[in-house]
Amino acid sequence: MPRHEQTMAFFVKPSAAELERRKIVGINKETVTDVTSTDFPGHYPGEDNSWDLEAFSQGFNVKFHNNSQFDASFSLIGLDASIANAFRRILIAEIPTLAIENVFIENNTSVIQDEVLSHRLGLIPFKGDKEGLLHFLKWFKKPPPGADPYANCFDFNTVQLELSVECTKKEGVDPNKEDDPAKLYNHANVYAKDIVFTPMGQQEEYFTPPRQPIAPVNPDILIAKMRPGQEIRLSMHMHKGVGSDHSKFSPVATASYRLLPTIEIIKPILGADAENFQQCFPKGVIGIERVTAEEAAREGSGYEGHKGEKKAVVVDTMRDTVSRECLRHKEFEGKVRLGRRRDHFIFSIESTGQWDSDELFLEAVKTLKVKCNKLEKQVVNMVR
Amino acid sequence: MSSEAYQPPTGGASYGSGATGNATAVEGPSMRYICSDCANKFSIKKNDPIRCTECGGRVLYKERTKRMVQFEAR
Amino acid sequence: MGPKKIVFGEDGEDATMHDVPPSNQAAVTDDAAAVAQEDREEDMLDPQAEHEEEEEEEEQRVKLLPGSSATAASFEFEKEGHTLGNALRYIIMKNPDVEFCAYAIPHPSEDKMNIRIQTYEGTTAIEALEKGLKDLQDLCDVVADKFWTARDSFAGTATA
Repeated sequence: MPRHEQTMAFFVKPSAAELERRKIVGINKETVTDVTSTDFPGHYPGEDNSWDLEAFSQGFNVKFHNNSQFDASFSLIGLDASIANAFRRILIAEIPTLAIENVFIENNTSVIQDEVLSHRLGLIPFKGDKEGLLHFLKWFKKPPPGADPYANCFDFNTVQLELSVECTKKEGVDPNKEDDPAKLYNHANVYAKDIVFTPMGQQEEYFTPPRQPIAPVNPDILIAKMRPGQEIRLSMHMHKGVGSDHSKFSPVATASYRLLPTIEIIKPILGADAENFQQCFPKGVIGIERVTAEEAAREGSGYEGHKGEKKAVVVDTMRDTVSRECLRHKEFEGKVRLGRRRDHFIFSIESTGQWDSDELFLEAVKTLKVKCNKLEKQVVNMVR
Repeated sequence: MSSEAYQPPTGGASYGSGATGNATAVEGPSMRYICSDCANKFSIKKNDPIRCTECGGRVLYKERTKRMVQFEAR
Repeated sequence: MGPKKIVFGEDGEDATMHDVPPSNQAAVTDDAAAVAQEDREEDMLDPQAEHEEEEEEEEQRVKLLPGSSATAASFEFEKEGHTLGNALRYIIMKNPDVEFCAYAIPHPSEDKMNIRIQTYEGTTAIEALEKGLKDLQDLCDVVADKFWTARDSFAGTATA
């Protein structure tokens, strides 16, 4: 007999209804209830709540809602908040990306100050060949203060960019008739697309067409504005980094989750009330149906004598924002119960473009695993 | 010490148009300026009027350092 | 200037990619998805990266705090925070041999995380910690596996 079945015989198994009840975080008018998870051994007498990979694997589920490069949305069902939160935190702070780290300004006569310009440049998200970014490019070790700023710069840890623009008057445009600076002058606006990437050494293999060169994800990001006679001439070094160091390295615009809302209609909401009830929620959450003859005939259903009347039904709780508006109205008192599902996380990941959104989540899982693996070795090492 | 005795810093002489260390006594040091109106670049010496040689504009900028300046993009 | 100073292909002092590690995705292989993930797996199972990984000796980041006994101990993790702290606390609390487990970040400006484990007789706090780290890795495998299958089947429905 497998261990799993063996233990089952000795433990009390809670009913499905009880398990379902434990999953719900209650949301009242002014309070919340049952906020913390209780699925630990010893919490419920006689029950086995110990870690069981097989049981976890059975109960865990992933459901995709949307999957595009810049926006992935999916549900992780059957997970504890501590684990889901670890993934979210890793997504934001621990997955490395390439970003501008050092700016070497030769000339900047524009009105935007050197340090502000540098900061703006750092925040621009870049893309490039995945293979090159992930495997060819390695971490850059910052030289100690006072050392040559170019020390430790190699083709496998530094990407060099150039920005060289000068604003001049455009020929043949009458300044008395035209007042749009973009039409009057060349380079009145400096955009991210003006940044030039020059592959160095082995970078040539990875970042030249047909492979994707290093380039801004959004070419139309405005970096600075200039007027004739002004010039920006600088070069930049990009290094790999993580979001915990500086948010410019974060691979996501947002990575967040929310718990799936639940709406339970305990007593029928009928007629005009049903329509008012629908109005308390975002579109598509509550639907209106007619009370059927069968329902009206059933004793104690609350529908007796209401055949053909409108009734409110729950259609899609995923769209709910849990505004609690329905709890403010007297007519719905005792008729509805709001909640959230403790173990249903609706993730939303918006990538900045260097990674694909779904790929990011897999990387987060991998990061957590590797982190544990390394620490396991360290614990063994500590004992020795 | 009268105000006429003021000696401009000789370090700036290298930026002057052809003004060398020895020539300072004769010509006086000159400084490069940029006109804010017409972006004309020109030099001004000690007693020259503070005006653009091209358009006569009175708002002038000093030239930026020619040294490279390093910044952290943070 | 910058461009001339970048040395090509020279054996410079290379910071290792300790955060971009060898893949665990091999365990994820699923027949239906095998073809789709082939190129990716090649990426992730870079033997060279693995090699470099092992060469770099890492500094000891886990410490046993003074005043501990076999069944009750506090550990100090350097350069770890809530991310690992809370996840590890959860999985260790799931161990029936553990009487108590909690984590804390004693001071926000110190990059340290403490974890306290007290076990019943028959096991030790260190064993419970090791089991916790192992269980967390197993969990990650399951999550990655299921995520992969769900994504690929979703891609199938989206294009069909």
